[in-house]
Amino acid sequence: MPGWLAANIAVYLVPISTLIIGFVVGYMAQRSGFCSIGGFRDLLLFKQTRLFIGYLALIGGAALGYFIFSLIIPVAFPTYPKVVTGGFAALPGAPNAASVYGVLAMAVVGGIGLGLLGVLLGGCPLRQIVMSSEGNLNSIFFIIGLCVGVIIFYMFIVANLVNIINALFPA
Amino acid sequence: MSEKPKTEDKKFNIKNLIKIPAVLGLTIGFISAFLQALLISAGGPEAYGFCVVCHTRDLVNSISKNLFGTTFPTAPFSAVFPTLTIIGVIIGGLLASKRNKEFRFKKGSIKSYIFYFIGGILVMIFGLMLGACPYRAALRTAYGDMIALIGIVSIFIGVFIGTRIIIIKMKKESV
Repeated sequence: MPGWLAANIAVYLVPISTLIIGFVVGYMAQRSGFCSIGGFRDLLLFKQTRLFIGYLALIGGAALGYFIFSLIIPVAFPTYPKVVTGGFAALPGAPNAASVYGVLAMAVVGGIGLGLLGVLLGGCPLRQIVMSSEGNLNSIFFIIGLCVGVIIFYMFIVANLVNIINALFPA
Repeated sequence: MSEKPKTEDKKFNIKNLIKIPAVLGLTIGFISAFLQALLISAGGPEAYGFCVVCHTRDLVNSISKNLFGTTFPTAPFSAVFPTLTIIGVIIGGLLASKRNKEFRFKKGSIKSYIFYFIGGILVMIFGLMLGACPYRAALRTAYGDMIALIGIVSIFIGVFIGTRIIIIKMKKESV
């Protein structure tokens, strides 16, 4: 897919640019206490909108950014306005179902799981990483869990999950 | 938790500006769009500028591929060199907390370490089922992906269930 940069230059910029973005986001998240799931939680529990507005601003900023840059350089946004990456899944390598209902079912289960765990652990994944950089040992174990989770998911879960989903929601 | 900004210090400068969550939200969204315009030639998928779950997966799978020769997938975006987002976040958060003297070790118990460790595993599994963390779900929604919007609604339902559990727990403890 063509962007502003040639592919052989762009691949070198992937680690550098994501490191810089991560740095900026990490710094600002530490200062602001930004948390997506915390925003939902504060809204529901305390009627506080500070973090929730932050999450809405994320959607709004991204919508604005995608709209502007897709006008400036349309070739970099070939499928705008829609994410489709082979089949229905939006993430290459993530479990892909034969029917769109299977993908929806996984999105609903995954979303509810993320929200529930986020509340019980006291923060979304980004907040956990920022808390670990503030010296919270619980969150450091959370990050280790994330990394182990990747291996467990691809060794034991992904094939079975796709089979179950496709049996429940045939194409 | 929700820290309130100090009232005495309300001058308009960068230091106070970055304490507003909405500023960070706008920044993540806009930078992600810029990153796609710049680097989509490295490979897809779209709306991949910032994601805790997916970028961590790419990094872990890329390392395990190089060390142990595994064939776990990464996004084409990370096929040559992996995304280092999570490392950037750790360095950025560390620098911010050190500079503002907010860094302190906070120990837990063995029980809480196990709880958070298993929590991390489950968050990664659920995140990969959704194909996004809450952040990429927002990016995908902004890109026009309705499945991601349903994902966000599901996260909200999950948070609602979680807050009910917290309320029930607090009532039990107060009795």
